[in-house]
Amino acid sequence: MRISLDWLKDYVKIDRDLSALISKLDMIGLLVEDWEERDSDVILEIETYANRPDTLGHLGIAREIAAVLGLNLKEQNWPLIEIEQETSDLIDVQIWDENLCARYCGIIVKNLKVGPSPDWLKKRIEAMGLNPINNVVDVTNYVLFSTAQPIHAFDLDKIAGNKIIVRKAGESKTLRSLEDKNIALSPEMLVIADEEKPVALAGVIGGEESAVFEKTQNIFIESAYFDPVSVRKTSKLTGIFTDASYRFERGADISFPPQGALMAASLLTQMGGEATKEIVDVFPKPRKNKTVILRHKRIFELIGLEIDEKFTYRTLSRLGFQVEIQQEGTWQVLVPHFRIDVEREADLIEEITRFYGYDKIPATFPPLRELEPSLDKNRKRVNKLRQLLFSLGFDEVLNFSFSDPEEEASFKTKRKPIEIRNPVSSKASILRTTLITGLLENILWNRNRGAEGIHIFEVGNIYFWEKESSREQARIALATTGLIGSTQWQKKSKETDFFHMKGTLESLMSDLRYEPFSFQEKDHAFFEKGHSLALLFKEEIVGYFGLLKKNLLDSYSLDDAVWAAELNLSMLFGKKPQSFQHVPVDRFPSITRDVSFIVNRSITYQEIKEVIERLSIPHLKTFDLYDRFSGASIPEDKVSLSLRFVYRNPQKTLLAEEVDSLQQKIINVLKKEFNFQLREGGTEVPSKVRSKKK
Amino acid sequence: MKDLKAKIAELKKKFNSVSARVKDEKSLQEVRNTYLSRKRGELNLLFEEMNALKPEKKSQAGQMINSLKSYIQERLEKLKKEIAVKERPVRKIDLTLPGEKGYCGAPHPVVLFQQEIEEIFLSMGFSIEEGPEVETDYYNFEALNFPPHHPARDDWDTLYITDDLLLRTHTSPVQIRAMEKRKPPIRIIVPGRVYRRETSDPTHLPMFYQVEGLVVDEGITFANLKGTLERFIKTLFYEKIKIRFRPSFFPFTEPSAEVDIECIVCGGEDEKCRICGGSGWKEILGSGMVDPQVLKNVNIDPEKYSGFAFGLGVDRTAMFAYQIPDMRYFYENDLRFIRQFALK
Repeated sequence: MRISLDWLKDYVKIDRDLSALISKLDMIGLLVEDWEERDSDVILEIETYANRPDTLGHLGIAREIAAVLGLNLKEQNWPLIEIEQETSDLIDVQIWDENLCARYCGIIVKNLKVGPSPDWLKKRIEAMGLNPINNVVDVTNYVLFSTAQPIHAFDLDKIAGNKIIVRKAGESKTLRSLEDKNIALSPEMLVIADEEKPVALAGVIGGEESAVFEKTQNIFIESAYFDPVSVRKTSKLTGIFTDASYRFERGADISFPPQGALMAASLLTQMGGEATKEIVDVFPKPRKNKTVILRHKRIFELIGLEIDEKFTYRTLSRLGFQVEIQQEGTWQVLVPHFRIDVEREADLIEEITRFYGYDKIPATFPPLRELEPSLDKNRKRVNKLRQLLFSLGFDEVLNFSFSDPEEEASFKTKRKPIEIRNPVSSKASILRTTLITGLLENILWNRNRGAEGIHIFEVGNIYFWEKESSREQARIALATTGLIGSTQWQKKSKETDFFHMKGTLESLMSDLRYEPFSFQEKDHAFFEKGHSLALLFKEEIVGYFGLLKKNLLDSYSLDDAVWAAELNLSMLFGKKPQSFQHVPVDRFPSITRDVSFIVNRSITYQEIKEVIERLSIPHLKTFDLYDRFSGASIPEDKVSLSLRFVYRNPQKTLLAEEVDSLQQKIINVLKKEFNFQLREGGTEVPSKVRSKKK
Repeated sequence: MKDLKAKIAELKKKFNSVSARVKDEKSLQEVRNTYLSRKRGELNLLFEEMNALKPEKKSQAGQMINSLKSYIQERLEKLKKEIAVKERPVRKIDLTLPGEKGYCGAPHPVVLFQQEIEEIFLSMGFSIEEGPEVETDYYNFEALNFPPHHPARDDWDTLYITDDLLLRTHTSPVQIRAMEKRKPPIRIIVPGRVYRRETSDPTHLPMFYQVEGLVVDEGITFANLKGTLERFIKTLFYEKIKIRFRPSFFPFTEPSAEVDIECIVCGGEDEKCRICGGSGWKEILGSGMVDPQVLKNVNIDPEKYSGFAFGLGVDRTAMFAYQIPDMRYFYENDLRFIRQFALK
């Protein structure tokens, strides 16, 4: 809210310098966001709140300043030049809907010459950042910015039948606006009508046909109280937001309309008009002031500080509250009509604390009472997983939850997306059903900026409809493309590939002790056929990974291969990981045997693995593939594999001879099953890691 | 005989002083030749001298010379090892070549900052609570004392899914869910994504992160709110930071306070400061005493219990703390930006 310092001085004597005033205003919660000097005046930009419509005018701000400085508001005097005619003889005001219009006041100013405003008024209007228009419009704006009471002026001679009827639009379909447009009315909207038709949208805007123009002579001034919800709905439906609707929808001061009408009429009579006698005041159900009980001890209980009763009394009185002391420590407080925000004891306590000064309240720590234990294992797991991925060279990204429905459709997630009814843009009109789309955008962004290797992950939710209810599922997605690491003089970088992703997922599962897990060859909508695996834990698919389909990459203009993975963390974390237990370290040396052989390409590693596992060789602790080779020295349909076997007996030192015979057994079976040839040098002779005995 | 004994002693003394000066293989060989050479070695000369002795003296002298011999041999052997260690051939390397760089991924700054915030509250005995992002109007607004059609809702521009479902505009609905679920004392923080119907610009985003806090117990006061938040801010920034509590309005708290901290960039010295606009203050938290109506909405007796709540924007505060000029950087996910936070 723009506030002119000069204008404030009409209401309250301000003897502080500007910075002292600003810090007082900040202290009571009227934050001065900005200020500027303007001619001899100072314009303050003050933050106001939705519950304090009384501060949407200079009077309200002045009232707060008076209270904080301990001053009284200046008396206002609004003299009228009157003619011998009663207002009610010239106009008939009727409220047909008391719920939507609780009070309607009016007065007539005759024989006015519409023209430019006097300089003092122009200056006030300009201080509000508006252009002066004419004396009538400027006076209505002046009253609004002074008192927060919206005023409307009609050309009396255009009011058919000398009737002002406040009613719902009903059958009336349109109102012609000042911009010569038709405002479509709906039946529930409250309008001001004359005998024939609506002449204004109540509390929002006036119509063209009854508007004051340069030849207008006689004016009907409206100063009313309209229902906040009704004004707000009308504003929203018509898309018309005005200074008047802004105040009415927050709640005007129901006691103020006569004063507002008087102010406007008084000013216009000073500019040559003549007012009719007696303000018309239709107020079917006068309202009593709210009363609130204040128990003084509650201030201490809620604030943690004893505040002197005298201070409390003084503050409330200065703010316009009437305090009646009922009994010791319990007061009955009468709330002024302009304070629509004060309804309960807590509201009064805020008023007292606000003026006492938040800075004077001590800072103490709350008692640490025992709570229901809350163990958030998932957070710990997510964190562990993040740390692991950092160590593996993956960077973390965060993407918006929004997604482009077209993009999303090409991914065919089969999940029913949640649509936003009023999206910021059509490209962000649904919630994501996969995290991969975001990762691809990130890859594109970084590719275009020269990144050679991009290895990223995101932990976040996806969203979808499951039957009638919305579901949020925690996921992790990873993507890897290009070079891993930078080439250094003694370490060359290498290209990422399927097995980089596979290894990452293996580490991830083992690190969280989700073991044993397994992989299964499975096609998936995101991945090239034959280039994807499902990751399983306890017989359920936790997620998929693989080489992203060419056409998906094409839609992001990405040329290079991207391997991606997406796992369902909600599901995984719902399962129990392997419990942690210490395993005794080997007390006896192990014996290692390497073997290299040539085998048909068509035989998978899994097949070989299964055969070896099925043998259940005693003391065989582990076996691993440590080399795989194909090339000139080997027929094209074959491949050379090198396996390393580690034997160990926990009870005693193994003898080389024992191991040799076990190893031979494996070799014999493999020979028989896969028809393999031992490679030269890849040997039946124990390899370089020998038992000491040999 | 006496003469020979003295000679042996002298020779040992001499050997000791000579061998102490042995530095390398070459001087070691010289010493060895001097004493142990089969031809003219000092020890051989002694043996020759011994041969000239009477037989009864001979064996005693022989023992003495042999003892010296083995002393010298041992000593030389030891020296040989020492020299071998010293002179082991080491290839000269260019020590100025660059060291091998490891590579580690970086955390996203918003997650990083959120965790810093969480850890401070965890250390103060808070626990972490989460709630849905797709919320009902009831939890997001009504239960928090926003009546339908109230202009206060304008400050929380909302993305709607249906008449009743929306994307939560703050993490405050989790306050309600938590209070429905458990009895006081309650001491929680709620981190998470929130949404506003806003077009992205340097200081606004349609989605960002918030951390909400709630404490409900018997006898909780505004002073407790101040104590808790001051402790938090001082830990997050620095001990001597200036903090200001200023009255404000939130439908779900009464009294309400906004918390400002001194501008860590200009300290109020720069009238054109990009961060604080010259005021010297930066708004960082919204807070207040839980509105009695909110407590009633979840069947907690406001006469018996009281509480405070607060909320802060993670992105916005991270922006301030790390002096990031544009909020959109967080969601561009430019790795040159993100990787800087590996250093944090």
